[in-house]
Amino acid sequence: MSVLGIIFSYSERENLRELTQKRTLSALPIAGKYRIIDFAISNYVNNGIYDISVITRDNYHSLMDHLGQGKEWDLVRKRGGLRVLTPYARSEGAGGGIYKGTVDALASHLSSIRRSMADLVILTDASVLYSMDYQKLIERHLETGADITAVYSRQLNGYHTVPAGLPVFKMDENERIFDLTVNTDDTIEQDVPWGLGCYVIQKTLLETVIADSVAAKRYDFKKDIIKRLAPRLKIMGCEHRNLLLEISSVSGYMKANMNFLKPEFRMEFFKTPVYTKIKDSVPTQYGQNCKVINSIISDECRIEGTVENSVISRGVRIGKNTVVKDCIIMQHTEIHDNCMLHNVIIDKDVIIRDHQQLSGHAAYPIIIEKASII
Amino acid sequence: MFRGACTAPLISFIFRAEVTFVGYTKKKEMIAMLLAGGQGSRLGVLTRSVAKPAVPFGGKYRIIDFPLSNCINSGIDTVGVLTQYRPLELNAYIGSGQPWDLDRIYGGVFILPPYVKDKSGEWYKGTANAIYQNMQFIEIYEPEYVLILSGDHIYKMDYGRMLKAHKEKKADCTIAVLRVPMEEASRFGVMNVEDDLRIYEFEEKPEHPKSNLASMGVYIFNWKKLKEYLIKDESDETSDKDFGKNVIPAMLKAQERMYAYEHEGYWKDVGTIESLWEANMDLLDPEVPLELYDPHWRIYSRNLTLPAQFVADHAKLQNCTVSEGCYIDGNVADSIIFPGVTVEEGARVYKSVIMPESVVKKGARVEYAIVSPESFIGEGAVVGSWDGGETEDLHRPITVLGQGAEAKAGEIIPAGTVLEERKKGGE
Repeated sequence: MSVLGIIFSYSERENLRELTQKRTLSALPIAGKYRIIDFAISNYVNNGIYDISVITRDNYHSLMDHLGQGKEWDLVRKRGGLRVLTPYARSEGAGGGIYKGTVDALASHLSSIRRSMADLVILTDASVLYSMDYQKLIERHLETGADITAVYSRQLNGYHTVPAGLPVFKMDENERIFDLTVNTDDTIEQDVPWGLGCYVIQKTLLETVIADSVAAKRYDFKKDIIKRLAPRLKIMGCEHRNLLLEISSVSGYMKANMNFLKPEFRMEFFKTPVYTKIKDSVPTQYGQNCKVINSIISDECRIEGTVENSVISRGVRIGKNTVVKDCIIMQHTEIHDNCMLHNVIIDKDVIIRDHQQLSGHAAYPIIIEKASII
Repeated sequence: MFRGACTAPLISFIFRAEVTFVGYTKKKEMIAMLLAGGQGSRLGVLTRSVAKPAVPFGGKYRIIDFPLSNCINSGIDTVGVLTQYRPLELNAYIGSGQPWDLDRIYGGVFILPPYVKDKSGEWYKGTANAIYQNMQFIEIYEPEYVLILSGDHIYKMDYGRMLKAHKEKKADCTIAVLRVPMEEASRFGVMNVEDDLRIYEFEEKPEHPKSNLASMGVYIFNWKKLKEYLIKDESDETSDKDFGKNVIPAMLKAQERMYAYEHEGYWKDVGTIESLWEANMDLLDPEVPLELYDPHWRIYSRNLTLPAQFVADHAKLQNCTVSEGCYIDGNVADSIIFPGVTVEEGARVYKSVIMPESVVKKGARVEYAIVSPESFIGEGAVVGSWDGGETEDLHRPITVLGQGAEAKAGEIIPAGTVLEERKKGGE
């Protein structure tokens, strides 16, 4: 059974403040050396799926830069391989602007989807991270004879509610989905089946429902396809019982990174290889008086100070007598001597000069924008 | 041959007004030939199952990454790698050459093992013979110059500048040299030169050196000239078929134009356990001019796919380098830790080189040691135990663990011990 993987690299419901101003969600650095999209792509590749399309919407410059031809994910292929689908610019008269919804996004790339030789499509949302056995998912999809299989979870991993904007499924005892609600606020309690944005569908069926839906000017995948077609199609739920991470807010992003400091999350997410762009960085150097506790450190760092409960990306410099605690520091940032940082997210290429003190709150961390000098 | 073919369509164009396309030129100005066939027997257990150039170095590299990266950084995109001793791991490592940008439409990196020609074949008998046996490969590219390199030195060097000097001097052969302290000169091949760096004499490990210019084992030859001497040397049955012993002395004797090219910077032959350990330690010494962090001259390598390193609650790191995929919960000081290494709580690693995917269990001690990939040091074991005194210049002998070796829990391994590798498969 050949499969086409489609990844939505952006999220319609995200609020990541300054972090996604200059990049799309899936290009955000995570767990030190990775970008969010690495997990989604590696998951496909580890399941033997080598035909992958990435749908982009805006700010996709850094994503393109990261993905290149897909060499690092083994996706330079004659059959399949990686395709980055950028928005098809349309004039105002022809319905212009960028996508009106997920369905519109798929519709504007229908010709590319049609060209794929695959029988099945697995759609995924880059904002939910997991390591899933897609072969089992496909087996189940075929076994149940479903038209669409939607993956759901009851886990929240410490989040209090289902993240806003995600669907909550209503299912019968056989896990057949007959309705859904979209969580718009924080009122939905725990232990409800919420959708990961991961769907399995026959490619020809996807092409048909997308074309029909667009013709009727219906653009929301959740409401206009899953909810509307639930009575007529057989839409089955499939539970993902392992750990997962959801990133659509700054606190969610902070939490996801901090979760990588826990052994159970590292075990889950790195049980199969996660591929990323190779930078040929030198190994990290630790200085004479450094102190590092419970932290992820990437290559090419030079650490002279103290790092605690933090996630540090490539090429970061941390000066003498500087204390970095509960922080996320992105690539090539330099923190000079005698600084004190707590609950701070520092974007790429930032310089923090001597004797600076920055302190945020775990629920509302300070964000220092890319390339600023403080 | 190709040149002749090239002029043919031109003539036909003039006289018969029709053009036959014969293809683009395949000429390269200079190609490199990397001698990687040596056994490196002085590295003992480290080269039991891999060739010397494949020995890990510097926290994430292998020795061969240095000449290969130097080539691509110098703009040389065609490299022949001559192998014959235990080439499997080296072949797999080099692969398509992609990590070094040496996967090219035309050119790139080629593994050149000895092969059977016509009716018989033979092993490479010496460095010169290895090149002689691959003349056909070199001829494909019709190079003006051939760069001869060896796979056992750690250095960063721009071969392009050396070629420029070679051309300026209108030399037939240029030999890269390094100024070493006079008292150490007798350990090297020494070039005795005129004021303009023209070589008039070459002495291999002289007792009383006349100069301190040591050969780095890096040569540029005019290919036509080299070919002549290789053929001549091959027919001489008394010859060892070696560049240093035969070809270079023969060229000197014939008064060919041979020049030295002085290289400044770090260079080290890592042919022995002691020198390999020292070169690794040099990376931690700010006084030594070996800096791998150089965005303009990166050293490329084939990377393992591993997550970023994790430093746990009880770790203490001091003056060390640690790579991807490591899990460190113990004490690491003055050491080089390769990718995927685990150092558990209470373990202590001091002045050591721990190669990929080795495990140091709880409370174990590893001091002054080179630990090969996939080794296992059990709980409370001591590797490199020593009661004697030590000074800065004189330290205890280096302990070496072969690939996959195991120090059992509580085992005491005295300094200077060599633990044999544990064989995988049917050997």
